[in-house]
Amino acid sequence: MKCKRCRRAGAAVELPSHHAAFCPDCFFVFFRRQVTEGIRKLRLLAPEDRVLVCVSGGKDSLVLWDVLIDEGYETEGLYIDLGIDGYSDRSKEKVFSYAASRGKAPIVVDLAKEGIPIPEAARCVRMQECSICGTVKRHFFNRVAAEGKFTVVATGHNLDDETARLLGNLLHWQRGHLARQHPLLPGTGGGLVRKVKPLWRVSEVETAAYGFLKGIDYVTEECPMSEDATSLVYKEALSRIEDRMPGTRIVFYQGFLDPSSPLRKGLEAAAPADASPTPEDGTTADAARARDVDAEEGTGAPRACASCGAPTYTEICSFCRLKERVREARSVRAARGSR
Amino acid sequence: MYNAPMITVRLPQKKKELELPGPRRVMDLLADAGVRPTTVIVSQGRKLLTKDHRVEDGATIDVISVVSGG
Repeated sequence: MKCKRCRRAGAAVELPSHHAAFCPDCFFVFFRRQVTEGIRKLRLLAPEDRVLVCVSGGKDSLVLWDVLIDEGYETEGLYIDLGIDGYSDRSKEKVFSYAASRGKAPIVVDLAKEGIPIPEAARCVRMQECSICGTVKRHFFNRVAAEGKFTVVATGHNLDDETARLLGNLLHWQRGHLARQHPLLPGTGGGLVRKVKPLWRVSEVETAAYGFLKGIDYVTEECPMSEDATSLVYKEALSRIEDRMPGTRIVFYQGFLDPSSPLRKGLEAAAPADASPTPEDGTTADAARARDVDAEEGTGAPRACASCGAPTYTEICSFCRLKERVREARSVRAARGSR
Repeated sequence: MYNAPMITVRLPQKKKELELPGPRRVMDLLADAGVRPTTVIVSQGRKLLTKDHRVEDGATIDVISVVSGG
């Protein structure tokens, strides 16, 4: 099979959803164009932004960092050590190795040192690891960005991640989650930093192929905590549809993002008027999205957590409440152990 | 007895390795390995292979899952 772009070299990547196949050089051009077009279309980043890229050691986040560096953005990587035996060490090694290859050193948050390693925290409060992980990561993304004067936080969520999440939210009619699902979550005046997902137009196969062809050494094993993640069920369902009808995923997601779609209008209309103090472009849909600050719903401006100062809609933020529950569970265990 | 060379198909994430007779196309090897082609990339050394690529006997290919959860 020949490359459909240059028509000379042999194809290395076949993309039925684009009716295309590319040689490595032409695929790099295609992929970067997809990402930059996604950034431009939704105005995710500005040239003067200081971008905090959240890197896990997996393909998507390292590929995102790679593209943003190549596109000339000022970036730093943030790695959160989740404290998962073996897996965290291996993923950290990949992050450090990639960062060194680009002359950088990642910012590291060690959850064991912060007193909240994910596996132990999940056992203590009897919650799913992924749920705790989300709360903890959101907290540190925002905290590190605010402390380091970053203007935006970027994560490596791709088209497959976003459509799986959309399908899950639709199947359960999670209106609040639907209102907040978007590749751009605006920042607010209350200390909440803007969050973006620049890979929203590219699929997992595309990021994996880009990472492989660029020689990015990423961790290929899955997080052992995510084996039963429901997102995998939605991903498989969508993948089977995509097999039969290539291009369905991007049509599904772009239709959802379309400001003129009835669903988007309905979400906009349902958003409370006081949902956010200063959405950057002033629409109520943005105001609703800007509330992605804490695990629970909230209205009005976020205020400072009485314990840590992080933006929250409750007196104590969900991260501090979680930490307190873990601390209490530890004390109970210790007391039982000493009897 | 003479053993004919086979194609080695490695699936590192499943910690599995298969020996399959060749020469065959990547898509046929994936079907035999029970892998859906749209969930993986397939490589031979530093080269990525398209699904219609013909793999010769004696070759080793890696099938890398691209699906991430969480």
